[in-house]
Amino acid sequence: MTAAGLAAIGAYAPRLRIDAEEFEAAWGRFDAAGVDEKAVPDADEDAVTMGVEAARRALTAADASGAAVAHLAFATTTPPMAEEDLAARLCSILNVPDDAKTQTMTGSTHAGAQALDATMDGGPFGEDIGLVIISDCPRGDPDSEVEHAAGAGSVALVVDDDGPGTVIERASHTEAYPGTRFRTGGDDRTTGLGVTQYDREAFTTTLSSAADRLDVPMETVDAAAVQSPDGKLPYRATGALGVDAATIAAADTVSSLGDTGAASAFLGAATAFADGAERVLIAAYGSGASATLFVATGPVPVNTALDGAVSLSYAAYLRRRGEITRDEPEGGGAYVSVPSWQRTIPQRHRLVAGRCSACEALNFPPTGACTDCHERTSDFEAVELPGTGTVEAVTTIQQGGAPPEFVAQQSKSGQFDSAIIALDSQSGEQTVSVPAQVLQATDEVTIGTPVVLTTRRIYTQEGVIRYGFKAQVASQRR
Amino acid sequence: MRDAYLIGAGQTPFGSMPEESYRSLFDHAVSEAIDSVDHGIDTNAIDEAVVGSLGVGGRQLGLSGPAATEHAGLHGVPSVRVENACAASGYAVRQAVQAVKSGMADVALAGGVEVMTDMSSDVTKYWLGVSGETEWERLTGTTFSGVYAQMASAYLREYEASEEHLSMVAVKNHRNGAKNPKAHLGFECSFEDAVGAPVVADPLNLYHCCPTSDGAAVALIASEDVVGQYTDDPVRIAGVGAASDRVGLFQRDSYTSISASEMAADTAYNRAGVGPDDLDFAEVHDCFTIAELLAYEDLGFCDRGEAPQLLEAGTTESDGAMPVNLSGGLKSKGHPIGATGAGQLVEAFKQLTGSAADRQLAAPKYGLTHNVGGSGGSAVVHILEREAAR
Repeated sequence: MTAAGLAAIGAYAPRLRIDAEEFEAAWGRFDAAGVDEKAVPDADEDAVTMGVEAARRALTAADASGAAVAHLAFATTTPPMAEEDLAARLCSILNVPDDAKTQTMTGSTHAGAQALDATMDGGPFGEDIGLVIISDCPRGDPDSEVEHAAGAGSVALVVDDDGPGTVIERASHTEAYPGTRFRTGGDDRTTGLGVTQYDREAFTTTLSSAADRLDVPMETVDAAAVQSPDGKLPYRATGALGVDAATIAAADTVSSLGDTGAASAFLGAATAFADGAERVLIAAYGSGASATLFVATGPVPVNTALDGAVSLSYAAYLRRRGEITRDEPEGGGAYVSVPSWQRTIPQRHRLVAGRCSACEALNFPPTGACTDCHERTSDFEAVELPGTGTVEAVTTIQQGGAPPEFVAQQSKSGQFDSAIIALDSQSGEQTVSVPAQVLQATDEVTIGTPVVLTTRRIYTQEGVIRYGFKAQVASQRR
Repeated sequence: MRDAYLIGAGQTPFGSMPEESYRSLFDHAVSEAIDSVDHGIDTNAIDEAVVGSLGVGGRQLGLSGPAATEHAGLHGVPSVRVENACAASGYAVRQAVQAVKSGMADVALAGGVEVMTDMSSDVTKYWLGVSGETEWERLTGTTFSGVYAQMASAYLREYEASEEHLSMVAVKNHRNGAKNPKAHLGFECSFEDAVGAPVVADPLNLYHCCPTSDGAAVALIASEDVVGQYTDDPVRIAGVGAASDRVGLFQRDSYTSISASEMAADTAYNRAGVGPDDLDFAEVHDCFTIAELLAYEDLGFCDRGEAPQLLEAGTTESDGAMPVNLSGGLKSKGHPIGATGAGQLVEAFKQLTGSAADRQLAAPKYGLTHNVGGSGGSAVVHILEREAAR
């Protein structure tokens, strides 16, 4: 299938930001041309949690639910686990049916384009939808161009048969250009040889060869969302793509979010559509090298959370990056095994509570005797909670006071709030109390504060990342 | 069932004692308990032993009960370790009382021991959290101080109470503990210090939290049939109550009370046939100072929400109508988890037998001890009565 409907786009970037001036103050120079500030993932954010944020927004904008997803493709150059099918966790968190086809694309910043390409091929979807989640948070050595530029962000595209948007054309090109941007096995830092002219040639040759295969006149394009490892390279592609600099600037995100890797071109498309563009060129490029161009027409409903909220100092940035922090201490005790964690995944991923068959009270988690009437009921009716609630009791765990599983998080992010939340039921008539960490907020969290739940990394033990819910002050949700 | 009597009780100092092992600590407490028996007692007379410990610090030792009692010369005596977090040895005492009342034992030894200060801070972080709800509560990154702080946040919101009341409890208990040579933090603290200490988990600061301690305590329980052999001045265990609740705070009915304490106290009062007004003193579980305020209400010393006023009125001071934590409490005397419950019996024994030295009340008749496990998953209350001399 050449064309496909584009029902909606969701986009997300972490609320933490660092200004280029912070790097200049620390290093005496800043090596990411065209980047004014960039997004920084918090200690409990990664490509999966950011992907969930974008996917939820895309589904909302499409007025669809995870239950409608027949095909889910996940793309990132920074998978939180190098081996393990993370699409399974995304499906679980987003409530995607267990017979959905899944794909994970990684290995280069071209992965996002590969995911959209494959999802389009997965149609037609009939009443169902395809969901493409592209999420990335690259990093490099602290003094490298890659690290100075490295941002974070995610985008999700809902693909269906009838839009309102349409991907009208696509074309790809692959050509071997080793060494421009790469990461060796086991390393989490991206690098490149820095052969300037060669790097540019790989970029422009690959993009122009793909552009040659497109039938769309480029002057009809309102915005060109071009792969942006920094704020300068995309403008080298004006000739290759046949667009002017203003058209590329119309889809700029790198100046405010930094290099968002596989999500880069798609985040540009999201902002262009949000700004009212009718026809957008998406030009994704991955080192190695390969490129895919898509031409999409609007209108496309867009739901974004891309604004920053908290500015970091360079020292705070180094903490978030884990450059100057400690890991979980050695020890034992209060150990929660992975199998026992797995049994609670419906609660941790999807807030599945249980209604007591004896007294109708909500229980969370729904196991054992009812916490309200204490009857030995074993048949709790599963009730999914909407994820809104109110703080009932709260404390702040000061720096140095976290239990071992949270030492690494606290080392990176500092003190945090731990609360008991009265979660609302769908009908609003009942509540059930759950303990939850509260994301850092600029307002004080007190008893009575309204919150919404979101998905974050809870902790990592024995190498296994455990995702679950945390609360966010409702007024601070972007 | 026949009555049970507290015929002796003793403890080590509570504190940091790197020169001692858990067995040597327990041995010292056994010696002191034996020495405290009016007419003396031979270890051969002990039929049963119950040892409370969370796990001998973070060691998670098996068979620590027999290891401790054999080391102390109680050769061959059936011995078992009971674990109920911070209420371990309160429950050990209850078990010993059961053994005596049932007729299985004429004399039973109940004690507790913990070694908490010889571990790296990393290891301590791990095992201190084992007594909360570990799959949900702990995995919000909270700690014991965090959970009690959450209770404090709810209490301060619901009632006419402030952080200053939390500090007043600390000042009072340190004032008492300064008179206790066995106290871990046996010094007075000023109100200014107790208000201005570094925050641990808002609203709790360092002075609102008890220390972690090494220590052991032992109580000797005898039946009414043999008590006359050991003393002419008997202390009867007039009532025992115990109760459980959900381990995780979020699953409980109330965040501003500990219902296990309330239920345990009701049972103990009923069995003893007395009420709070009959008491002359109480040793309550003040692991955090908010817990002492909750205890005033859970144990019926005042109505709900009136603990701050009871404190302000001086009622619970050493010279008040209802002195609480004359030993210094967990706050000043220290909190070697497994030893704490039995340690409370030691203070009660001293007060009721007139051997509390500088802390001695004038002829008290009834005393209460109150021991809580975790943040309220378990509680046990003992009411002790000094009978007329025989």
